[in-house]
Amino acid sequence: MPAAEASTIEQVAAIYRRVLDTDAVQAESDFFDLGGDSLLATRVISAIARDLGPELTITDFLKSPTPRSVAELIASLTA
Amino acid sequence: MTTLIVGAGLAGLTAATALAAAGRQVTVLEARDRVGGRTHGIEVAPGQWADAGAAYLGERHTTLKSLIARLGLVTTPTTTDGRSRFSLGGGPQGSEGRFPPLSAVALGQLFDALDDVTRLVRADAPWLTPDAERLDRISAAEWVGHHVDHADARLFFPLFLGEMMAADPADVSVLHMAFYLKSGGGIRYLNAFAGGAQEDRVDGGAHQLSELLAAKLGDRVLLGEPARVVEERGSTVRVHTDRGVHEADALVIAVPPLLADSIEYRPGLPFRRAGSTTVPGCAVKVHLVYPRPLWRDHGLSGWSVSAEGPLLSTVDDSPPGDGVGILTGFVTGREARQYTALTLEEQRDTAVSQARRLFPELPEPIAHHITDWIGEEYSKGCYAALFGLGDWVSFGPHLAAPHGRIHWAGTETSTEFFGLMEGAIRSGQRAAAEVLQAYVD
Repeated sequence: MPAAEASTIEQVAAIYRRVLDTDAVQAESDFFDLGGDSLLATRVISAIARDLGPELTITDFLKSPTPRSVAELIASLTA
Repeated sequence: MTTLIVGAGLAGLTAATALAAAGRQVTVLEARDRVGGRTHGIEVAPGQWADAGAAYLGERHTTLKSLIARLGLVTTPTTTDGRSRFSLGGGPQGSEGRFPPLSAVALGQLFDALDDVTRLVRADAPWLTPDAERLDRISAAEWVGHHVDHADARLFFPLFLGEMMAADPADVSVLHMAFYLKSGGGIRYLNAFAGGAQEDRVDGGAHQLSELLAAKLGDRVLLGEPARVVEERGSTVRVHTDRGVHEADALVIAVPPLLADSIEYRPGLPFRRAGSTTVPGCAVKVHLVYPRPLWRDHGLSGWSVSAEGPLLSTVDDSPPGDGVGILTGFVTGREARQYTALTLEEQRDTAVSQARRLFPELPEPIAHHITDWIGEEYSKGCYAALFGLGDWVSFGPHLAAPHGRIHWAGTETSTEFFGLMEGAIRSGQRAAAEVLQAYVD
């Protein structure tokens, strides 16, 4: 995995905060532990596509549910 | 001090029970030869029941849960273990969980837009929402055209709205859609089985709620008494039915607004509570009965979603234990109207053959039941009235506000959990409280 950019991690975390309506999001926070479900996951995926470019699938997201792992995935897709 | 209640569904029976418990005299007038309204049980095999009408409930349905407990009934979880089946263009395919094989980016765009518009609406009084007039002038179909451009999202939207509220997007205003979704707890709660509004069912059928309430009221519930005319004269109110005239000090009308509006009022009401743009909830429920839940042998949950009908979605509604398997098919929205135009034989054949395409090795069912709520004379639709363009702004303020000695109940008069059993019960409690406060014994 390419290293994730700190700025990407923060952008993904900000998307989590908006969709989950909580401030309690860290780089290692698991989306589903924070109360996320697949319906909310689509809103995160949609926001990532809009703000950062890559179109993730729900399977991608289920495997990489933290802002850091999402950012790593984005780095590998855009490398 | 006597109160007449028109309609022996959950709302009317809740109101009657609360008034009787406070020592008031009540008479419930029910048009049908059964109680329960939009809940109705079908005994699909000896001792095993399917819900032909309202079925599901969740944790937030607090008054319903306490009624279930008070009546000595129990709930059973709606089972969703296993893989889902989807037919969304191309042939049927399997999928883990309930997530459809569509673009997550597209669905996210749709849910984002739905979340935005749901936040705008004032759930306690939709007609007072800022911009209510504009939101009530746009149909949900037009709205999705403006806000969502992804093909997968446009494909999924009518299926979603069909499932959530038995509506064709062309029939409801955005204001009604947003209100309905907010009233029910938001799109996540309404959409979810575990942790959501479909978490549980009443073991043995939701119709038992009304039957047990009616049994306690005994001969205070009169069947076969459709209300035709309501007459207010001085301090009394009279209801003319096909069998006679009943007189009381107060009246609770606990039937859906389209039905309530078809009663003749003397003197005439200065307002309406439904109109030509109000559409009956478009739901047909199909039950296919098998010796046991055979799809589970293949690791399937029974949950399916299809873009082509008639069964736009299916759910495993089998009773707990070793009994029969019940696959419930939902025919909703535009699809429901087309389906009801078919002969009964065509309805059966198209439903069975679709189920067999979706679920491998599924044999012919041992029984089937088709319940058409659109054509139900004494419901006029199910889940609930669908408010079309302009309806909320015109009718909203009058849905629940008493008029003289006439009080209103029914799930459409509840801004909380509108369209659900929970809304019906809350409305019955609210109407009973109004009567108790307005008329001292």
